[in-house]
Amino acid sequence: RLRIVAMANPSSDIKEVLSQRIKEAEEVCVADSSSRECAVAWDEVEELSAEIAHKRVKQEDKKDPLEEFCKDAPEADECRVYED
Amino acid sequence: MASRLGVTTSSSSSSSTMITNESRSMSFSSHFSGQCVNMGARLQRRRARCHVVLVTSMAVEQRPVIVGLAADSGCGKSTFMRRLTSVFGGAASPPKGGNPDSNTLISDTTTVICLDDYHSLDRTGRKEKNVTALDPRANNFDLMYEQVKAIRDGKAIEKPIYNHVTGLLDPPETILPPKIFVIEGLHPMYDPRVRELLDFSIYLDISDEVKFAWKIQRDMAERGHSLESIKASIAARKPDFDAYIDPQKQYADIVIQVLPTQLIPDDNEGKVLRVRMIMKEGVPNFIPVHLFDEGSTISWVPCGRKLTCSYPGIKFFYGPDTYYDNEVTILEMDGQFDKLEELIYVESHLSNVSSKFYGEVTQQMLKHADFPGSNNGTGFFQTIVGLKIREVYESIIAKGGASLEAVKA
Repeated sequence: RLRIVAMANPSSDIKEVLSQRIKEAEEVCVADSSSRECAVAWDEVEELSAEIAHKRVKQEDKKDPLEEFCKDAPEADECRVYED
Repeated sequence: MASRLGVTTSSSSSSSTMITNESRSMSFSSHFSGQCVNMGARLQRRRARCHVVLVTSMAVEQRPVIVGLAADSGCGKSTFMRRLTSVFGGAASPPKGGNPDSNTLISDTTTVICLDDYHSLDRTGRKEKNVTALDPRANNFDLMYEQVKAIRDGKAIEKPIYNHVTGLLDPPETILPPKIFVIEGLHPMYDPRVRELLDFSIYLDISDEVKFAWKIQRDMAERGHSLESIKASIAARKPDFDAYIDPQKQYADIVIQVLPTQLIPDDNEGKVLRVRMIMKEGVPNFIPVHLFDEGSTISWVPCGRKLTCSYPGIKFFYGPDTYYDNEVTILEMDGQFDKLEELIYVESHLSNVSSKFYGEVTQQMLKHADFPGSNNGTGFFQTIVGLKIREVYESIIAKGGASLEAVKA
């Protein structure tokens, strides 16, 4: 079962990828923390972290359930807004 | 007059008919607005038509105004962008029906693109060539120049999309020339040709201490991240950052510097901030903000009877200086507000904030009290920069209109 998961979906979850990449970066940097490889590895970690943070902000924008509902059903009684 | 007064019954009856008429017309109007939902399509079409006429007449006269915003990732670019688009009104959203991972944000007046879309190497490509995204070799400045130039000339472009989730370059999306075109990312002022196209440029300069504190806030909850990994990540990227990103600040019209506070000795929490807005002198269409008296050097503690401050208080500084051999004006705020409404007290002592009415900066800040930095100098100065960009935009329009008049004459 473990093997199927690994093969079918090696990198679907971005958070999963992030923790993998952090481990890899730490390994790469063990030998020489000022090497190019080390910088590239940590740069990728930064890119993934930034993307996860952006996604989180977007999710938080959607946290009002009434607003979400009213996007799809502006005619519903609880959503109608008249400008004047 | 006398006869009217004499015939009281008829006058009263006429007034009563007037009232009914009025009430009828009132009921009609409320009825009419009540029908707006059903008639919405027709009304909107009519409104939209007027709107389109306006836009096309603008488009003929006016080229897009190009704004560059440089900052490292995780340094508050997106918060700044949300404040900026709010000044122009309307919410920014990704292009409708396009790539869900598009980095572009579009509002009525403003289009913001992320310069990561001009990566020439994708994630695996960078790994093979051993270059970071900060490295100019990972970016296609020729394409960046061509496309920003095309937008400036009022032409639509087919811009690639760098997908931050997969790390691949996705098929391009069409970007139409807006009124204000913002390019944000790591290198908006790196290439001299692109720099030449910018009407206004901003650099967000976050000190290492604050960057560390912000990234802890941002990343600590993620699995795998630890204090060590965050520290290592900042340290590993620093040589490239110092070589390619940091030097761009000498070209910026405004640099917003975020430093640890000086009000609390040995503070390293990064919650209280000292924020400096460094404004270049002699930039076309841009007059720096000043405090009390233009050109003087002033240190001001507004706390007292009119402004409630708890520990550690608020301290302002204003004065002329030089920055990378440029004459600049610096406005600095150290500390944070307790009550956002009282910001009006500070605002009323600033001149040239480019607001349209008294209290506009405070109003904009109150509108987004939930954004990060709303109680300190980052939000305050970002809002002022937003108003400054509006002023640059409006004076360029005014000049564009004037030159067209001159051509006609």
